[in-house]
Amino acid sequence: MAATAERKVVRWTLIGIALVFLALVLLLPLALVFSQAFAKGLPAYWEAIKEPDALSAAKLTLLVASIAVPANLVFGVAAAWCISKFEFWGKNVLITLIDLPFAVSPVISGMIFVLLFGAQGWFGGWLFEQDFKIIFAVPGIVLATTFVTAPFVARELIPLMQEQGSEEEEAAIVLGASGWQTFLRVTLPNIKWGLLYGLILCNARAMGEFGAVSVVSGHIRGETNTLPLHVEILYNEYAFAASFAVASVLTLLALVTLALKTLVEWQQRRAVAERVGPDSTPERIAA
Amino acid sequence: MSIEVRNLRKAFGNFVALDNVSLDVPGGELVALLGPSGSGKTTLLRIIAGLEPADQGVIRFHGEDATDQPVRERQVGFVFQHYALFRHMSVFENIAFGLRVRPRAVRPSNEEIKDTVMGLLRLVQLEALGQRRPSELSGGQRQRVALARALAVKPKVLLLDEPFGALDAKVRKELRRWLRRLHEEVHVTSVFVTHDQEEALEVSDRVVIMNEGRVEQSGTPEEVYEHPATPFVYGFLGDVNLFHGRIDRGRVKVGASELEAPEWAEARDQAGVAYVRTYDVELTPSSSGISSIEAVVRHVRAFGPVVRLELDRTEDGSSIEAHIARAQYDRLGLTKGQRVFVSPTSVRVFARPSDPGSARSA
Repeated sequence: MAATAERKVVRWTLIGIALVFLALVLLLPLALVFSQAFAKGLPAYWEAIKEPDALSAAKLTLLVASIAVPANLVFGVAAAWCISKFEFWGKNVLITLIDLPFAVSPVISGMIFVLLFGAQGWFGGWLFEQDFKIIFAVPGIVLATTFVTAPFVARELIPLMQEQGSEEEEAAIVLGASGWQTFLRVTLPNIKWGLLYGLILCNARAMGEFGAVSVVSGHIRGETNTLPLHVEILYNEYAFAASFAVASVLTLLALVTLALKTLVEWQQRRAVAERVGPDSTPERIAA
Repeated sequence: MSIEVRNLRKAFGNFVALDNVSLDVPGGELVALLGPSGSGKTTLLRIIAGLEPADQGVIRFHGEDATDQPVRERQVGFVFQHYALFRHMSVFENIAFGLRVRPRAVRPSNEEIKDTVMGLLRLVQLEALGQRRPSELSGGQRQRVALARALAVKPKVLLLDEPFGALDAKVRKELRRWLRRLHEEVHVTSVFVTHDQEEALEVSDRVVIMNEGRVEQSGTPEEVYEHPATPFVYGFLGDVNLFHGRIDRGRVKVGASELEAPEWAEARDQAGVAYVRTYDVELTPSSSGISSIEAVVRHVRAFGPVVRLELDRTEDGSSIEAHIARAQYDRLGLTKGQRVFVSPTSVRVFARPSDPGSARSA
């Protein structure tokens, strides 16, 4: 008891520091976004949001997310599957490569695509001949976003699938299930919460990505502007209220994502508890 | 459905898990693969199932080559050591799985599936638990669900990997007898892996003893127990005392004592080891001839019908274990520190591995 009593001071100091930090770094800016957004009243807010450029930016953001997220769903599941269920040469290299988008700055990620597909890039001349634009167009934005968000699903699934091992899959195959049946009936149900969690994080980043997208976008209003880019443009033009209004939409999307994430985490914990729970009470068998 | 394994070889990197293993499992028998961990028994089972490819060798089911047949076509039932039940499915769905994944043309109707599963639940005595999740079952119950799931697809052979390994001693014993009875009922050719000699000897029709990737001996439980073919088998099945000595003209010299070894009549001063089971000894208060070995009682465990004595050999202080009947113990009136003479009643002598012409049987 004495030991814990002494630590009480330490504990409250630590909690206090954490709370002050949270308030300063997270809550205050969040409050500011909304207060600035409504600084000129509700009609101005509404005006800023339904303005065509803002709407097109929102549409583009949703379009990009709706391509990048499913692409990374397929990639993430495939990568996690082969890493956790098979032994092969170069496995560690693959794991490191998956982390690469997290390790490099998003601006550099954007630069890579400019160097590959830009007018002066490796494939630039060929693309020009085909009259197909990647850089300063939607395909570039999709590519950059997909690249930057690639690790989320795979990172979430690899430890989960490694922990679960492959015995259940082996059992399914011995019982005559095909690979696809095994995946749908055995693997997928076991990883669904982890997968959903990874997808939510992936989606949050896909909608919020600025750096990489900024490099490849070209900032063409109504064409290649995503929501984060639109916020920046408005801000640079001193349209503060409008800028914050659009930012508040993006923030709302983030908050919804956060709520979903919490819900999934809760579900995940429940699934784990269900799995581990009554283990410790073995019954006698009636032989 | 018989299983034939011919000259199987499997290596993991530099580690040779199976070294030229051959094996016959006659149809309808229950065979135990017995060996210490790392002896290759689980690898052998997984190769028979098709879960692991062999580097060399052939596997035949009922005379037909199955070596390159994919797992899902082999029609084997496999019970995993940790059961590998589908955790998100009910017990009922677990058992029904093998039937539900069949191609539409050969898939039984829902009614038929229900009948089959209910029949199996009855067989494994879990009728009331069909709607439970695996996590809501005890270890023994999970084990039986795993067995029912494997049997649902009417396998040609049933393979069980350490089926009782993860259970506590009492449940293990009950389940063991139950498996024996079940096998008599369904009569499917079965192979199970175990490191527990008692389990292997009690349950199986035939025991295959493995060590370091090789088959040391196979035979009925009586054969392998009464006539161990190698020193390893002798040591592995039951408690045994080892006496190192020299073999010469049908006798083994162990210190000042000499033990009879008639099968070594031609041997001339060769290093050897005499194996004596702990219960194949007679204790006397005074020397009963050249074959008795002098010792001192160090520890007595006198509960139950068999009294277990730990003795220290006087000559070199090495330890001897003796199991004698309660009546004999009472008659001798042994106490700690007392001098006693040990006369082996049954001796099995093997040449030391370094010497040529190793094992000759009695």
